[in-house]
Amino acid sequence: MIKKFISFQWKEFIRSSSFQKGVAIKILLFIAAAYIGVMAVLAGMGLFFGIKKLIPGIDPMIIVNSFIIFWFFADMLLRYFMQQMPVMNIKPLMIIPIKQKTIIHFLLGKTVFSFFNLLPLLVFIPYCITLLIQGYPPFKVLLWLLSIITITLSLNFLNILVNKSNTVFYIIATALISSLAMWYFNIYDITRPAGAMFRALYENPIYILVPIAILAFLYYLNFKYLNSHFYLDGAVSKKVKEVNTSDLSWLNRFGALATFLKNDVRMIWRNKRPRQVLLMSGFFLFYGVIFFTQKTYNDMPGFIAFASIFVTAGFLFSFGQLVPSWDSEHYKMMMSQNIPYRQYLESKWYLMVIAVVISFILSTPYIYFGWDKYAMIAAGASFNIGINTFVTLFGGALNRVPIKLNEKAKAFSNTQGFNPTQLLIALPKMLLPVLLFYIPYYFTDYNLNAGIITLAVSGFVGLAFKNYFLTQIEKVYQKGKYKTVAAFDEK
Amino acid sequence: MITIQDISKTYGQNTVLKIDSLEIPKGQSFGLVGNNGAGKTTLFSLLLDLIQPTTGYIDSNGIKVHESEAWKPYTSSFIDESFLIGYLTAEEYFYFIGDLRGQNKADVDALLSQFEDFFHGEILNQKKYLRDLSKGNQKKAGIVASFIGNPEIIILDEPFANLDPTTQIRLKGIIKKLSEDNQVTVLVSSHDLMHVTEVSDRIVVLNKGEVVKDIVTSEETLKELEMFFSGSAVVTTEEE
Repeated sequence: MIKKFISFQWKEFIRSSSFQKGVAIKILLFIAAAYIGVMAVLAGMGLFFGIKKLIPGIDPMIIVNSFIIFWFFADMLLRYFMQQMPVMNIKPLMIIPIKQKTIIHFLLGKTVFSFFNLLPLLVFIPYCITLLIQGYPPFKVLLWLLSIITITLSLNFLNILVNKSNTVFYIIATALISSLAMWYFNIYDITRPAGAMFRALYENPIYILVPIAILAFLYYLNFKYLNSHFYLDGAVSKKVKEVNTSDLSWLNRFGALATFLKNDVRMIWRNKRPRQVLLMSGFFLFYGVIFFTQKTYNDMPGFIAFASIFVTAGFLFSFGQLVPSWDSEHYKMMMSQNIPYRQYLESKWYLMVIAVVISFILSTPYIYFGWDKYAMIAAGASFNIGINTFVTLFGGALNRVPIKLNEKAKAFSNTQGFNPTQLLIALPKMLLPVLLFYIPYYFTDYNLNAGIITLAVSGFVGLAFKNYFLTQIEKVYQKGKYKTVAAFDEK
Repeated sequence: MITIQDISKTYGQNTVLKIDSLEIPKGQSFGLVGNNGAGKTTLFSLLLDLIQPTTGYIDSNGIKVHESEAWKPYTSSFIDESFLIGYLTAEEYFYFIGDLRGQNKADVDALLSQFEDFFHGEILNQKKYLRDLSKGNQKKAGIVASFIGNPEIIILDEPFANLDPTTQIRLKGIIKKLSEDNQVTVLVSSHDLMHVTEVSDRIVVLNKGEVVKDIVTSEETLKELEMFFSGSAVVTTEEE
């Protein structure tokens, strides 16, 4: 029976629309996956030597054991956002004579083969191989690796249990942030007890029984839960959430566009996929921290300009590139209702502009890194508003991938918005501002202000041509209308 | 007034619709019947400019639908669930459509109050998103939404399917009332011959993409249609 299930899964995979894409995309995806794989392997190997070099005199294994707790915290958070819950199409299986237990075991077993369980393997296997080569005791190392894998799988099953609850997420997030903060400010060092724990796993391999017992227990809990909820109105059913209506009348000041803006705000608020995108775009805000704190980049203002663009562009990039797709579920209605295409596009444009402005306001703390950095971010925001919004909208016209709004994006099986044209469009969004900054900077004998001013002015110039740009973009959208309607119609 | 001129739609070798000429005068209630694959939805999609005609054009009040957007203000439709916005509640959706059609909240409320019977207490104040309603209730919401803003042309694709008997009867009443004053053109497709003859002034039968019958409804129409469909069923089985 299990064999049958596996063949169903395989068919589901190869017949899914995301898989039936052009060869070019498959190759690109493969390269991306291979890249991440290789990076993980290198990280695993580099971990040992890196630590040895950074903190000489201490056994790297002690350091790894002390900090691995943060890895697991982060793992858990990432899973919460990205990992999809196991849904097999079990409805048709419920009425045919297969043992219910078999189905549930399969369902749970399936979750083991997830990217999130693979990643630790990619990092820790090379790490352990390095350890072995360095002459660490093989028995201890192997059992340590095994317990790491066991813990990872435990997290996998824990996540399935708690995924429905936001509270658990907030608890874990607070635990991670507060323990990191307390560690950083020397208030309480969580790495001590945690380190002792993981060290014990390494020194006394018999302790591996503990994580194994935890894993078994979590698996049992999952099994019990599914077994007792194996009804159409139980675990299989979609949860119907009670509506949260909120007053959005403050958007009325946008006049005719308010209707659409309200709708988009509700869309973002009430659906899983756009919420995920919103959160991701929040991370972009921290892009500057990476670049501004590194001394090396201070002498390379090109990179600083690059980072400054990103600080305010998170939402613009991640939401904007999927513009018509957000309405794919009701696109036919949008196209036959009394909506001029222009107005539809303009409302999306305003949404992106608002997002850039909000990001810019949120980026105020960057003044800490100096006014020149902040001026750069301001110039970047201007460029984002004046140029990048239009480029992004234009790119959206070429994107005809339907989105299921209320489903999380799958990690790595997700090719939505990932096609060669999109990549080509992405280039000017990031490179053009760097050039606009760097060329005047270079020709004025390395005057920062020249670059910043050019970048800022380019945004205003773009804004002046707003109507022209929108008209051109509208034409592109109109031209592709039938294709888009047809593409969004296939599910 | 809708004029369909030389319209055809071909996918590869396969012609799914071919109508030389068809005129639907203003105020007519027009019924479209035909078996699966006869081209009903294709015709409606062409009317709404959702697919591109291979040849010919559709003219609505002097506007070629694939050349201008000016037909949108007086045309409304409900084809399938993709005409609903799943993450809105029914009220939010109605007000949204109202906004698009220049109706304020009070206008929409006034219109909705006429449909309390039809809703049967299952649509308004449900604290549920449209995506969580049952198929039948989604349909009710979509059909009523197409009445918002005094449209002159209303296109409903299989409005009777998925509805419970009570609602079907109420819907018939609503459509009849709409066509009474001869201002609103209603286009309805259906598999239910009885319903469609009851609400339409005129019935067009499509078969494999072509108009095979065009009748003004009378006492005998239902019989004629039943004859046709049982006949064509026999013919196709003989062919096989």
